[in-house]
Amino acid sequence: MEEPLRIGAQDDEVFDRSRRIGWLDLESIFNARVMMVGAGALGNEVGKNLALSGFRRLTIVDMDHVVGSNLNRCLFFTKEDARRGAKKAEVVARGISKISTIADPIALDTRIEEVPDSVLREQDLILGCLDNIQARIHVNSHAYSLGKAYIDGGMEGFVGRVTVVKPPHGACLQCGMNRSHAKVAEMRFSCTGKDVVFHEPRLAAEITTTSIISAIMVREALKIVSGRPDMSLSNAFYYDGQRNVSEEIEIPLDPRCPAHSRAD
Amino acid sequence: MTVRIKVKNAETGATVEMELEVENTIDEVIESAATFWSKDMGAYVLRKGKKVLRGGGSLTESGIRADDVLELIPDPEGG
Repeated sequence: MEEPLRIGAQDDEVFDRSRRIGWLDLESIFNARVMMVGAGALGNEVGKNLALSGFRRLTIVDMDHVVGSNLNRCLFFTKEDARRGAKKAEVVARGISKISTIADPIALDTRIEEVPDSVLREQDLILGCLDNIQARIHVNSHAYSLGKAYIDGGMEGFVGRVTVVKPPHGACLQCGMNRSHAKVAEMRFSCTGKDVVFHEPRLAAEITTTSIISAIMVREALKIVSGRPDMSLSNAFYYDGQRNVSEEIEIPLDPRCPAHSRAD
Repeated sequence: MTVRIKVKNAETGATVEMELEVENTIDEVIESAATFWSKDMGAYVLRKGKKVLRGGGSLTESGIRADDVLELIPDPEGG
């Protein structure tokens, strides 16, 4: 028997307003497996946007812990988390569970390099919310070789970038890198005999740029999962909040890119 | 053979004229421009119009001609 029409019923349904966007494929969004690598400032915002957009099956990877200087731009972190050095992945997973009626996030308190390919293979989509080039290269090359779409975000101050990689077609993140990226990556790791030191830069960061970049990342995720590549960014999106400039830029495929030779 | 091009600093709007050999690479242009503007150690890309230029490519391979204006933009690392 059909459900009787009830006044105000539409206002009870959590995703009623999302359903009004014709092209959004909510069933696919509910069922997609999404990995978010990095649970810092960008990870907090991306996690919030994913959860409220209806993504349920989330895996959050981060090996770091909360510190006081995170608190000006991280929705889920508290002073108490910073005081006890709580694990970022766990705090974000807990925060997502609080704001979403349906999400079932899994926190992996580890380096992305330690996550086996079998876990990456299970994902439909990977979002990079990372803070260093080495980790980006790792995720990009693994995602590309496994044929997983990868959305990478990066920010500094009021400048941000989102790159969308859709294997097996087109350029990847590493195709757009050059010697300046290699130098930065090299500087972060300095090996002195048996010791390896990781230099962590203190980059300028503020929440408004984080919000914009995270929103674009999750919007691209919605398009990919909803099967709308025609709407999707073809390569990269560049944003400069000081000059109020935003535009799509093109990264040509580099036939000598190591990520492509790995995929072949 | 030499060509003169202009490189624009996306962050400030400033431009610098550079005289280059056609064999010079995009990596070399990025390094020279970043040094000229005393930029912080960081990743940058050079673009011509909407297209990001490949670091290892020479000016000839990248289709750079005299009087082209290239733009140096930061590739932000933070997350």
